[in-house]
Amino acid sequence: MLVYLEGIIILMCINSIAAMGVSLLTGFTGIFTLGHAAYMAIGAYTTGILTMKHDVHWLLAVMIGGILAVAVAYLIGVPTLKLMGDYFAIASIGLGETVRLIIENWESLTRGARGLPGIDSFTTLPVALGFLLTLTIVTSNILKSSYGRAFKACRDDYLVASLLGFDTAKYRILSLCISAFYCGIAGGLFAGFMTFLQPTMFDLQKSTELTAVVVFGGLGSLSGTILGTAIITLVTELFRPISQYRMLIYGAVLVLVMVFKPEGLMGEKELWSLFKRRDETWRKRS
Amino acid sequence: MESFIQQLINGLSLGSVYALIAVGYSLVYSILLFSNFAHGGFLVTGGYICYYALISTGNNIWISGLLALCGAGLTAIITERLAYKPIRERTSVTLYLLIASMGMSIVIENFWVIMAGGRFRAIPPVLPTYPFKMGNLTISSFDLLVFGITILLLFGLEFFLQKTKWGLAIRAAAYDLRVAALMGVNVNKLISIVFFLAGLLAAVSGIFLSVRYTLYPQLGFITIKAFVAAVVGGLGSLRGAVLGSLILGTAEMLTAGFISSQLRDIVVFGLLVLTLLLRPTGLLGKAVSEKV
Repeated sequence: MLVYLEGIIILMCINSIAAMGVSLLTGFTGIFTLGHAAYMAIGAYTTGILTMKHDVHWLLAVMIGGILAVAVAYLIGVPTLKLMGDYFAIASIGLGETVRLIIENWESLTRGARGLPGIDSFTTLPVALGFLLTLTIVTSNILKSSYGRAFKACRDDYLVASLLGFDTAKYRILSLCISAFYCGIAGGLFAGFMTFLQPTMFDLQKSTELTAVVVFGGLGSLSGTILGTAIITLVTELFRPISQYRMLIYGAVLVLVMVFKPEGLMGEKELWSLFKRRDETWRKRS
Repeated sequence: MESFIQQLINGLSLGSVYALIAVGYSLVYSILLFSNFAHGGFLVTGGYICYYALISTGNNIWISGLLALCGAGLTAIITERLAYKPIRERTSVTLYLLIASMGMSIVIENFWVIMAGGRFRAIPPVLPTYPFKMGNLTISSFDLLVFGITILLLFGLEFFLQKTKWGLAIRAAAYDLRVAALMGVNVNKLISIVFFLAGLLAAVSGIFLSVRYTLYPQLGFITIKAFVAAVVGGLGSLRGAVLGSLILGTAEMLTAGFISSQLRDIVVFGLLVLTLLLRPTGLLGKAVSEKV
C-alpha cells in the first residue's frame, strides 16, 4: 500500500514537471500545443538507451534527454512558430505523431512497438520531489523575470507586444524550448520510474492530457498547474477500477470546465498570492 | 505502370474519403474559426449507427445509411448546442472552443467504447467490393463507388452553398459571422445547419472507412489526416480541402505501394511540415493577415 502511494506521488511529480512545461507555453505564452508527449518520448528514450546501452549515469542521461528535446523543439519551432493559432496546434499534432512513428519504426535503436524493457529504476521519491522542487523554483523565477513578463505580453496581445519592441518570435521559441526541456526531463524521470517504455505511452492522448491538465488547473497559474496535475493524477488512479467510464468522465469534465469555468481552477492567480492578498486586506483593516 | 495506375486509383478513393471529412471540418472552421477536434466522433457515430441499423434491419443499406447520416448530423448539432454554444456566446476566445472540442471528442469516443466495446467490427457486406477487370487493371468496385458518391455529395454541397438562401447565408458568415448576424441571419440556426452538414459528410466517410478497414471506437483518429489535408489545401477553403485530400490520399497510397506501408503516416506528416514551411496558408488558402 505504501509502495503504491509512493508510486502515485512520484507519478504526480513527473506529470507536474511535464505540465509545468506545457503551462509555460500554453498558459503563459498563449501557444496551444497538442504534441508535447513527443518531447517526453524523446527524453524517455534518450535516458533509457543511454543508461542501458552506454552506461551513462542516470542524472547525466536525464539532462541529455532534456537537451535533446530542446534541440528538436528549436528545429521544429523556428519554422512553425510563425504560424498563428490553430495552425500551430495542428502542426504540433503532426510533429508529435511523427516523433512517435519514428520511435516505432526505428527498431534497431528503440526496439519499436515491442518496447524497451529493463531500464534501471532510479526515480525514487526524493529524486522526483527534488526535481519538482528545483524546477518549480526555476519556473517561478523565470516568470518573475523580464522573460516571464515578455511571455505574458506575447500571450495577452501579440501585436502590442511586438509594437512595444518585444522580439515576439524569439520569446515564442524560447518558451517552446524551455517547455520542451521540462517535458524531456519529465520523460527521463518517467523512464526511470516505469523501467519500461513503449511508443504508445506517448501518443496523442498523452499530449491531450498534458494540455488538459494545464487548462483544468488554470491558464496562467503555476500553482494551479501543479494542483490540477495532482487532482487529475489522483482521480485517474482512483478511478482505475472503472476504467471504461474514466475517460468519459475525464472528457466531460474538460467540457464542463470550459463551459462553466474556462479560466480553470485557479484562473491566473497563484496559491501564494491568495494568502498575500488576504494578508494585505488584513493590513488595510488594521 | 499498371500497378502505378492501380495505386493512383486506390489513392484517389482514399483521398475522396478524406475529402468528405476535410470538407465538413473546413466548413465548421470557416464559420467559427476553430478546429473542431470532435469531428472524428461524428464519423465514428455514423459508423456505429450504420452497423447496428444493418444488423437490426436485415442488411438494408438504404435505411441504415439514412439513419447513420441523420444520427451523426444530430450528434453534431447536439455537440454544438451542449459544448460550443455556451462558450461562443460568452467569449470570443477560440482556445476554449478548441479545448471543449477535445473534451467532446474524448466523450464521444468513450461513449462508443462503453456502448459497443473496444472490439474491431466488420460492417456486413452490403457495399459491393468485388473487383472487375478493365484491360490489364483490376479495379475494386468499392473504390469507384466511393469516388462516385463523394463527387456526387460534393457537387450537392456546392449546389446548396451556391444556389440556396441558406447557402448564401453560410458563405456570408464564412466571410464575417458578426456582420452576417447584423444583416439578419439567424446565426444559431445557421451554425446548426453547418454542423448538421459536417456530421452528415463525416457519417458517409465513417461508413466508407469501416468498410475499407474495420469499425472501432478510435477510428475517428483518422480525421487527423483530414485535418492535415485541410491545412495542406488551405484552412477554411472547401476546394482546398478537396485538393489537399486527394493529394494526401494519393501520396499515402503511392508510398504504401512503392516504398513501405509503415512510412505512409510519416509521409503524411512530412507533407504537412513541408506545406507549413513553404506555404503556410495552404495551396488555396486566403492569406491570413492580422487586423490592426
